[in-house]
Amino acid sequence: MDAAGVDRACINCIFFGDHRICNDRVARFVSEYPDRFIGAAFVTPHYPEEAIQELERAFDVLQMKFLKLYAPYFYLPIDDPAYMPIFEWANDRGVVIMSHCSFDLEGGDTLTAPWRFDDLAERFSNIQWVLAHSGFSPAGEVRAIQVARAHPNIFLETATSRDAHGTIEHLVEGVGEDRVLYGSDMPIFDARQQVGRIVTSQISEEAKRKILGLNAIKLLGLET
Amino acid sequence: MGQVDLNFKPTVPVFDANVALGRRNDKRVRVDTVGGTLEAMDQAGIDRALVYSHHAFLWDAQDGNELLADMIQGERRLVPQYVCNPGFEDLRHFARQVAKEGVRSLRVSPIFHQYPFENWMLKQWLDWMTSEDLPVWIPVSYEAKGQKINMDPAPIHNTIKEHPRLKVVLSDVDYQNANWTLQLLRSLPNVHIDISKCIGIDGIVKLINGIGEERIIFGSRFPASPMAPQLYHLYRCGLSDTSLRSICSGNLDRILRRR
Repeated sequence: MDAAGVDRACINCIFFGDHRICNDRVARFVSEYPDRFIGAAFVTPHYPEEAIQELERAFDVLQMKFLKLYAPYFYLPIDDPAYMPIFEWANDRGVVIMSHCSFDLEGGDTLTAPWRFDDLAERFSNIQWVLAHSGFSPAGEVRAIQVARAHPNIFLETATSRDAHGTIEHLVEGVGEDRVLYGSDMPIFDARQQVGRIVTSQISEEAKRKILGLNAIKLLGLET
Repeated sequence: MGQVDLNFKPTVPVFDANVALGRRNDKRVRVDTVGGTLEAMDQAGIDRALVYSHHAFLWDAQDGNELLADMIQGERRLVPQYVCNPGFEDLRHFARQVAKEGVRSLRVSPIFHQYPFENWMLKQWLDWMTSEDLPVWIPVSYEAKGQKINMDPAPIHNTIKEHPRLKVVLSDVDYQNANWTLQLLRSLPNVHIDISKCIGIDGIVKLINGIGEERIIFGSRFPASPMAPQLYHLYRCGLSDTSLRSICSGNLDRILRRR
């Protein structure tokens, strides 16, 4: 983060079947570096009997700022009925949900294809949806923009390894500079390269500042 | 706001080692012309680019190479790189074309041209490249029909090991190939790497520490990727001006020169 010039990062842990382990780990990191890290909660739809209780613990006790979901890890499409109790809870609370969002032309329907968020954003309109990776590929990017245009409560996050020339400009042109959020996917990708995608794009300096942090601060209600 | 440079431009000469030109058959790319490529180079602060033909790489090498020559004629900032298809083309004819056009580097496309990357398949061609001191680019990851395909590193290693004087550049090496890349580079001192897809955390620094800066060259993979972000990344790695000059252009100039 220091090498890339990143002040603060939203961190998550999504790779345990037991969501309590994930949330406790994130909380520990945040408590060690409260000025640098912002915690994201995680719950698995495979344990619906625990999910709401764990969400309340994550947000009310551990002070997480949003919920991160990663359907490919669950092998359940993001609009599967198993998630609905989670979404209903989040909708009641007005929580931000970041979900993996990926689509390949020849890969067919993926678990997190952009159009799966169409009905979700409509039905759970009090949730602010962040589509991580904005579809991931150029084909996914087009579809992510389409669904975000239809729903003002959808935001697009930038981290990807498969962007084409002009991706950032395309996102800004598609949904406006206020609904694009910088993300790095650290530690898979190097934040220097992902920041570089924003700062070297052909958009205004004001738009770069918004994408690199001001939009996230506003969306998550953080102190500047 | 952290310490980021919102108006970044490189301060050393930059020669991009990995740029494709022209139209693709499988999808529309945002930039497919010489003019658009030069405009993107100007925006990114890139002086020259080593360019190959999309059509040659994805489909027909001979037609694509001819299209490339037609497209870039007279444009000195674009340096042509030919794609060869050892499974289909006649080596003597290809060698004449390369000599006639003054081409100084080649690229192979075993996935799209559908042949095994084995010495029994390639020996004659690799012997010729060695004799002509022609470096060859070997992409190790491919995006085909929306799918990601990674080349098996074992045949690459075993084949190149038989040609220790051949100059080789691995390109499109991404985080999924990172587990074996450094070991292969250490094992084969005639192999270089272009960093176009080297976006894993600390990937560039690990490469420099592992094999030294002399075998590392800047490439962007344009237009499949934008040109400038990887340059920005490189500039944030704490390198000296001398190192940046080597990676951004000096090493590639040296590889392309005859011994």
